[in-house]
Amino acid sequence: MNSQKTLDRLLKNSLKRILFTGLVIIILCMILSCQKKNETNLLKIGLPQEPKSLNVWLATDGNSRKILSQIYQPLYTRDPKTLKIIPWLAREDPVFNKKKLAYTIKLRAAKWSDGSNFTSDDVVFNKKLFLDFKIPGYASKWKVIKKIDIIDDHTLVFYLKKPSAIFLSRVLTTPMVSKKEWEQIAARAKKTEKPLRSLQNHIIKKPLGTGPFMLAEYKKGAYVYMTKNPYFFGTGKKIGNYTLGPYIDSILFKIYGTSDVAILALKKGDIDMFWWEIQPGYIKDLKAQPDIKVFLNKKSALYYMGFNLRKPPFDDKILRQAIATLIDKEFIITRILQNYGSSMRSIIPSGNIFWHNPNVRQYGLGLNNEERFKTAYELLKNAGYTWDKEPVISEKGIVEGQGIHLPDGNPMENFVILTPPADYDPKRAFAGMMIQEWIRKMGMPAFARPMSFNSLLDRVKGKHDFDAFILGYGKLNLDPDYLRAFFYSKYDKPRGWNMSGYNNPGFDKLAKKQRSIIDEEERKKLIWKMQAILMEDIPYIPLYNPHILEAVSKKRFKGWVEEVNGIGNIWSLCMVKKNNGKEK
Amino acid sequence: MKTKKFIFNKLIEITILFFIILTILFFLFRAAPGDPITRMVDPNLTPEDIQHLIAQMGLDQPAWKQYIIYIKNFFTGNLGHSFHYGAPVSSIILNRMPCTILLFTTSTLLAAFVGVFLGKIAAWKKGSRLDNFLSIGALLCHTLFIPWFALLVLWILAYKVGWFPLGGIISPELWIRDTSIFIKVLDVLHHMFLPLLTLFIIHLGSYLLLMRSSMLGVIKEEYIITARAKGLSNKVIRDKHAARNAALPVITSVGLSLAFSINGGALTEQIFTWPGIGRELIFAVSNNDYPLAQACFLLITAVVLIANLIVDLLYAYMDPRIKY
Amino acid sequence: MKNTKKRPENKNHYVERFTKGWAIYIKNPMGKAGLIILLVFMLMAIASFFVPLLGPVYDPMTGADPNITYSTGPSFQHWLGTDFIGRDLFVQLLEGAKVAFIVGLSCAFISVVLGTAIGMISGYAGGIIDTLLMRVADIFMVLPSLVILLILASLWELSIWVIIFIIAIMRWPSVSRIIRSQTLSLKSRPFIEASRVAGASNFRIIFKHIMPNVLPLAFLYMTFRVTSAILVEAALSFLGFGDPGQVSWGMMLQWVWSSGHMFQAPYWLLPPGICISLLTLSFYMLGRAMDEVLDPRLRKEGEGE
Repeated sequence: MNSQKTLDRLLKNSLKRILFTGLVIIILCMILSCQKKNETNLLKIGLPQEPKSLNVWLATDGNSRKILSQIYQPLYTRDPKTLKIIPWLAREDPVFNKKKLAYTIKLRAAKWSDGSNFTSDDVVFNKKLFLDFKIPGYASKWKVIKKIDIIDDHTLVFYLKKPSAIFLSRVLTTPMVSKKEWEQIAARAKKTEKPLRSLQNHIIKKPLGTGPFMLAEYKKGAYVYMTKNPYFFGTGKKIGNYTLGPYIDSILFKIYGTSDVAILALKKGDIDMFWWEIQPGYIKDLKAQPDIKVFLNKKSALYYMGFNLRKPPFDDKILRQAIATLIDKEFIITRILQNYGSSMRSIIPSGNIFWHNPNVRQYGLGLNNEERFKTAYELLKNAGYTWDKEPVISEKGIVEGQGIHLPDGNPMENFVILTPPADYDPKRAFAGMMIQEWIRKMGMPAFARPMSFNSLLDRVKGKHDFDAFILGYGKLNLDPDYLRAFFYSKYDKPRGWNMSGYNNPGFDKLAKKQRSIIDEEERKKLIWKMQAILMEDIPYIPLYNPHILEAVSKKRFKGWVEEVNGIGNIWSLCMVKKNNGKEK
Repeated sequence: MKTKKFIFNKLIEITILFFIILTILFFLFRAAPGDPITRMVDPNLTPEDIQHLIAQMGLDQPAWKQYIIYIKNFFTGNLGHSFHYGAPVSSIILNRMPCTILLFTTSTLLAAFVGVFLGKIAAWKKGSRLDNFLSIGALLCHTLFIPWFALLVLWILAYKVGWFPLGGIISPELWIRDTSIFIKVLDVLHHMFLPLLTLFIIHLGSYLLLMRSSMLGVIKEEYIITARAKGLSNKVIRDKHAARNAALPVITSVGLSLAFSINGGALTEQIFTWPGIGRELIFAVSNNDYPLAQACFLLITAVVLIANLIVDLLYAYMDPRIKY
Repeated sequence: MKNTKKRPENKNHYVERFTKGWAIYIKNPMGKAGLIILLVFMLMAIASFFVPLLGPVYDPMTGADPNITYSTGPSFQHWLGTDFIGRDLFVQLLEGAKVAFIVGLSCAFISVVLGTAIGMISGYAGGIIDTLLMRVADIFMVLPSLVILLILASLWELSIWVIIFIIAIMRWPSVSRIIRSQTLSLKSRPFIEASRVAGASNFRIIFKHIMPNVLPLAFLYMTFRVTSAILVEAALSFLGFGDPGQVSWGMMLQWVWSSGHMFQAPYWLLPPGICISLLTLSFYMLGRAMDEVLDPRLRKEGEGE
């Protein structure tokens, strides 16, 4: 009996205990939410993934670059509107001496974030660092420099070994690091067995930079906190037609694991901007939000279908041209990109106005499905292709062909179009599937195969074991020198960028020549000719250039600067200011 | 003592096993296609640059040489440098481990306690509506698909209702300022609630069912009938006699089902972006970051092996029939 | 005496056992429910062969509706709606059922065959072979299958059959243990002794005499293997490491998650998860009910032999 009573009391007590703990939890949650008051001049940006590293030599991923590009600045950069090269850390345009192949460059009186001066010594140190350590991406560009003469603290002369078309656009746009900070580290690293690796593995807590922001704290896995650099050289100056700030005190980069969660945070107001492109599926919902502004910009990107020219029958130009004709680019733009993109007519995107050649050969442009099919059919038939069951084109419509045979009489073997998996990039995966269907109508045994990205790259770039593939470059440099990288015959080797195995001596000559032509108009003629050749031989079929969709919250900040490749750039961060309710 | 010899033998066995797995893993990674360099789709890098990077990362050495270096380093605690982050692997693991341990142990302990408690009640009242309710509920919990359930929890509690954060372990706004430790702890707990809830519910089912069937077996035993005859109250019999004995298999099952728990833990961490070892492993594996993936996997293996050793010891301790 | 009469009785003996077992099974509510749910899914799996024949729009991988370019909710043409490319979700669900069955049953079958064979050999042979095999079983049992699969899937392109095979390899130990203990208890039975004396080879003894008695148990454990196989494959696909050319429930969840429709499309998020849970639940219930048939101790009082 006694035990029964004590048990009852215990039970009643435990009920009370549960209620009590519940109450405590609720109160605690309320305290927590009170703490999160919004700091007024703090910009909150969402990142889709953790930055790989804040070591500038190791950080090749986009997210690290987003942060590091606020710290380390180059001598020259591109104007956000005109895309022309303008002086940034340099004071004015370089003075070129043609005879001596020398560029005289005057530097601004800029300061590092600890107050020390940015001088010519720093620039020379950078060159030495790049070449001594053979830093990937930097050394190959800077090795064209024979020597640098220091005239005074703010004047330098660069002497080149040979004329280089990309000197301004690729070499002088390299971010500069501080000699004071890296000298010791470099000296120590050089003594180790793997100097480059030691350099790359070094961790700096508060890196010195000449940019608008400094790194205050980096909490791995959670956030990066940056504060305004009081010594930023651009504050108050008018560069690129913008009077630069920054007008905010600090930036908090919050790291999210998935886009979903980040976009929800954006809607809630937990972040002011999500620095990543947004899939078209979200846009309708975002546009309906009163506090959200959606930006649409062109990209300097190339998404294409490539062939293995080393492997017959893909070495036959006519076959490639026929396939190009059969591809319904409009379908891809309207259905797969949901109209957020433009079709590509050349390897160089049309947004790159100066270098893009609009007069190259087009395949199937303006034709409807039947006309395209007819054109492709005639192309193939005249080249000697035959069919088991020939396609029939009449007023009633098209009857598909079956079992195509090559001109030598043999049937075409099954071939595989490799694509990234649908979860990695639905656009490419789906484009592959549709292209498979279109090609099959002509009797070609095509199979689209999604494959994990690593394996795909290994087969296409490493082993050259493939028939066709669909890949893309999301951020092509605005300088067209990559035409050379992709199609020059000497880059046809394992891990080389000439993945298709294109080998055209005429093209090679032009590619080599354009590299040393400094006069832009002269160079343009060659670049245009190269594009014409490429679109005639069509080792790559350019498919589409997606637009970049981004969204910001209008509630607290305004003033985002749109540029090719979106609003995520240094100009935006220097120009955003508090929105005092006037922004519509 | 016999147990000492037993423990010693087992430890040696585990160590050998560990190194076998390490070796297999090491060569497995190097036998497969795709390395981090091929993932750098950057036109800036020339083949020469790529070659240079490979040499710097030590990937150009023959595999057996790399292996020897790895083993040598292993004993000094140097697990190599992550290909992706550049930082030493050991520091990354030390950074992530506390998060996983926190989540894992809390959810397992909670699920075990509540599972035992409810299972005991269910068995005692076998056949009643309460028992059916609990059993079916447990069955449902046991067969839930973890990622889906986690997504559901996230959707409803974090998005629709909005009481809990959408992921991560802290709210950065609170940590960039000087807030008290109390608030910081509260923040972490706030973030931990949802992954904890998910893991708790998923594991509750199996512990409940196990406890229930174990109890059912025990209840039929002789000594319970004796205790009833003695006139002891139901609750005392249930808790002091039956449950104590029935709980033992549940405790050992914690160790045995560790493999299952780890799978579930990794998936949960991924969805709630809880920065733990499981999530890091998935990430490292996607990026072909061999040193990091290898270290994460070896850590998990070590934990599993040791846990099983403890379980074996417990069995030996509890069941006098087993002699080693 | 019994031996000579054994052959003609064998067939009837099995049938009798089966019908008796069935009667007990069907009385169990769990067993009934499990069977019904299973039948529904089997219908779905069979339907997945026929529905795509209705038209190209109904192909799970490439069937993009020409009029729909984004994810839509349930409609007359698309019973569950469409995914982000415009493919019918219901067809994908059916395809997923087919894949789940194939994966689950194949894995279970392979691992049970393997586990039974090894369990029988180990139990019968004893000695070093036994110790060695059981050690190996211990090792496999202890390792987390998903993690291993992840590592393997990231290194090589795993097609659905390779995945099935690997899951099966990781899962045989639990079966073999049970079979082994059963074999051990059978080993000392008189009819085995008699066969040995009569000169039957070990092989014959194992496969002709032990196996039939061990099979029902093996079959029972097969149902449990099915559940874990389905769950592991779904988890693997969910993380993005499954066979990219194959639609499965896990893949559907991966798509809803990575295409950003998780919070906006409950008609896409809920069905695959519910299906996975229900299917595994039904197999589990099936197994538990069968457990009662085979193990008389678990039956309610009043039933039984």
